[in-house]
Amino acid sequence: MNEPDIVDAAAGLSSGSPIGMLRRQRDVFVRHTRGSHDVLVVPRDPAGVSLVERAAAALRVATIERDPALSAHYREQLRRAGADAATIAAAGQDAEVSAASPRLAAILRHVALVATAPGSATRARLDALQQLGLAPRDIVTLAQIVAFVSYQVRVAAGLRALAQEVRA
Amino acid sequence: MSKPNFTLEAVEWAAWMPTVEAATATPRQLAALDASPQRDSPYFLTLAHDVDSLEQRSPLFHAVMYAPRGLPRADRELATVVVSIINGCVYCSSVHARRFAELTKQPEIIQRLYNEGLGTALQPRQRAIVDFAAKLTRSPQEIGAADMAPLREVGMDDLQIHDLIHAVAMFANANRLMQTLGEPIPPG
Repeated sequence: MNEPDIVDAAAGLSSGSPIGMLRRQRDVFVRHTRGSHDVLVVPRDPAGVSLVERAAAALRVATIERDPALSAHYREQLRRAGADAATIAAAGQDAEVSAASPRLAAILRHVALVATAPGSATRARLDALQQLGLAPRDIVTLAQIVAFVSYQVRVAAGLRALAQEVRA
Repeated sequence: MSKPNFTLEAVEWAAWMPTVEAATATPRQLAALDASPQRDSPYFLTLAHDVDSLEQRSPLFHAVMYAPRGLPRADRELATVVVSIINGCVYCSSVHARRFAELTKQPEIIQRLYNEGLGTALQPRQRAIVDFAAKLTRSPQEIGAADMAPLREVGMDDLQIHDLIHAVAMFANANRLMQTLGEPIPPG
């Protein structure tokens, strides 16, 4: 894949910069960070969680985490997945959603809870998602998306700061 | 929500949804489970529902925690315990507190973090790791070049800081999976 690495772009690194080169000393990190993104956000077979739902979940997390670069990235993924303007607007805010379908609204509410207050999750919430038609696999996929973007935001923020210090 | 009961004792974890059963798992699920730290744990048997993501996450997690050189393992474990305390992940903190104690023979450092909070008195290197891990966990967008200074003062080079960032970030990930797909079973 020749397009720029997403974490490099979000952290403002070019691959030939000192911190871009530093990352390549840990090639396994780079490869499986990218691989995780791809299987979660743009999988060949999205199975029970549509590409729109996946990108919407990721955009919600990046928005809650106030990362402009990753929010822009996931907004673009959501657009490419074919989401309408109302869905993009609903996913790209950090407050309660009104404009989405009941299923997407429930997904985004769950995603926001996992992102901001993982300790307040309960079995009853997973039961409610299953009653909306989400299979255990789908719920695991959503948890992995939130967990991954939470990771990605912090890797990008940390590397951005490290690169600023190295340049200064 | 009651206050989490952090412990240095072993904690079990129970899934909130039916797990993948070894008897009916696909070959890919079995291979991904074999590449995980504990193939029979309900946690990995839950993650195996989405085998595509588990196939990527296991090697990432393993490299972040165990890749050679760079940040010493005990420092990575300390950072992950700090993140787990902030997020309230009793299971994660127990596992990695025990690893830290095995590596350093200093369980009392963890016990003080549990009892007195993250502000407890620490050696300068541990203080710098705890403060950085706490800030990157709570306020990633407020991390800046100035936050590198305490890490440099205790001798960290670029690769060590790179590894510290990833250990902290990996537990933003791990805690959210552990805390939202099941619950800890406290030691009996």
